[in-house]
Amino acid sequence: MRAVLDVRNLTTRFSTPTGALVAVNDVSFSLREREILGLVGESGSGKSVTLRSLIRLLPSIASQSGEVIWQGHDILKMSPKEVRAVRGGQISMIFQEPTTALNPVLPIGLQIDENLRAHTTLSHRERLNRARELMDLVGIPEAARRLAEYPHQFSGGMKQRAMIAIALASNPRLLLADEPTTALDVTIQDQILKLILDLRDELAMSVIFVTHDLGVVAATCDRMAVMYAGRIVETGTIADVFARPMHAYTRGLLGSVPRVGTERSPLMSIEGTPPGLSSIPRGCAFHPRCDFATNVCRVSQPVTETVEPEHDVACHNSLAVLEAGSPVQ
Amino acid sequence: MSIALYRTASLPRPLIFGGAILAASLLLAIFPSVFAPYDPNAFDYAALLQGPSTAHLMGTDNFGRDVLSRVIHAYTIDMQIAVFATVFPFLIGTVIGALVGYVGGISETIFGRIVDAVITFPFLVLVIAIVSILGPGLLNMYIAVGVVGWVFYARIIAAEVKVQKRLDYADAGRAMGYTHMRIIFRHLLPNAITPAVVYWMTDMALAILLGSSLGYLGLGAQPPAAEWGVQIADGKNFMATAWWISVFPGLAIVLTGLGFSLTGDGLAEVLRTKK
Repeated sequence: MRAVLDVRNLTTRFSTPTGALVAVNDVSFSLREREILGLVGESGSGKSVTLRSLIRLLPSIASQSGEVIWQGHDILKMSPKEVRAVRGGQISMIFQEPTTALNPVLPIGLQIDENLRAHTTLSHRERLNRARELMDLVGIPEAARRLAEYPHQFSGGMKQRAMIAIALASNPRLLLADEPTTALDVTIQDQILKLILDLRDELAMSVIFVTHDLGVVAATCDRMAVMYAGRIVETGTIADVFARPMHAYTRGLLGSVPRVGTERSPLMSIEGTPPGLSSIPRGCAFHPRCDFATNVCRVSQPVTETVEPEHDVACHNSLAVLEAGSPVQ
Repeated sequence: MSIALYRTASLPRPLIFGGAILAASLLLAIFPSVFAPYDPNAFDYAALLQGPSTAHLMGTDNFGRDVLSRVIHAYTIDMQIAVFATVFPFLIGTVIGALVGYVGGISETIFGRIVDAVITFPFLVLVIAIVSILGPGLLNMYIAVGVVGWVFYARIIAAEVKVQKRLDYADAGRAMGYTHMRIIFRHLLPNAITPAVVYWMTDMALAILLGSSLGYLGLGAQPPAAEWGVQIADGKNFMATAWWISVFPGLAIVLTGLGFSLTGDGLAEVLRTKK
């Protein structure tokens, strides 16, 4: 399968009064057709900013470098008008908090209509039909009636479904999902994940899924990329990364997830807290918290290497980590 | 269903009273001749300066004109002042405020200086200054009020839009590829406009006061037009002997102003509970 999205050396800086902060540092990955990529990391690791950087959805204090190749064109070099055509048309996004991401004073139907107006040439009647179709697609019953309702008349799960309907209105090829299930309770979370999986199959689109929930990643994604302090430290298929983590941070994350069906054992935790963007340590950013750290980690930033097929890691001691074994096996 | 019932059942009382006063005022303003017993400008030298009686409920003035008929006919001009002196500031202020609030940066700094400059002067003084340059009359009064008044609306809207543009749904609009104009006027403005609408109602009450003040000073509506401010000015020489010439137009101002204020309060309450 060929790559639909190719990200090379993407770097996003924020210029602040106290100096430049690097929120996304030299990030590279690619995404294939119909693939779901999980972007995993703690709060502040830069996963949401990475996602927003792809479609340049950043405040004016941000500056970007690198390349985001989407269907042969670099999004970072596009004019504002071209970017607008990509956003919502070819690449859509859904957000963490459906309650605040929907406009409270406009009916749901009108919000779907807005996307169709911006990206299609459909007539009024066709847009109405399409809106009904979308409501069916995302599993909202009684579409005709609910199109006229306002967000506050929808439950949390239904709001996220409506958000997805708006995002999918113009048949995007890529869906960016920024923790779409974090604000929902567990049973609803499951329904929404299943919906996204179904839609991926039905509409043949790719998905980038930002989350800090490894359970969600294991259940939905094909591949995962682990982020720490603005960098991707490990990339691989779900099976590979879970079975043979090669970065000490990934191993720590896997060890901190409780599991059912195994003997009760204390959860591992990663000591310390992730560094702030203004105080990222020299060398490998993870070394102060790392059990495997050696002298070289303190002075030099590890480069990303392909250690196994489709399994990349940026760690000086990846073999030692690999030997220590996966905490989830 | 239950929501709809709840809403109609709890229409705030100020809105009901205010609305009723405004509805009646509007009716008088549109059909004054239906309600006025006499021609407002007909002199009757047989009945000069007569006190309230069954023939003239509010008495007559120094030309024998029926005060009640003049008060009723004045609704046409004064309600017009309430609307026209406020609708242009409202519209202009809303557009400029929305743009300034969204764009921010230098536009905000420049706008801030303009606001400072305008609010340094007392509103009435500034308007009187402009009217005396342009010359008296209603049209010039609208222009003068418009030049100054938009600032207050723009300030309210800019502050609201500034808050709204940081919310997720504004980001979502950008993520869907909508143009800035579309995001500002279609998505942000409906969320930001409530306080400006409420202020508009209060402003209409102030506009009637302003219109009457300028009429009184001879800078607004010109005699012999029936206008409350003009009427009060006409009667000021007879206050000791024929109080009714000035007092009844004054009461009309109070009542209409009350109507607008109550409506504004009630509207604020309704729009607040809706969120």
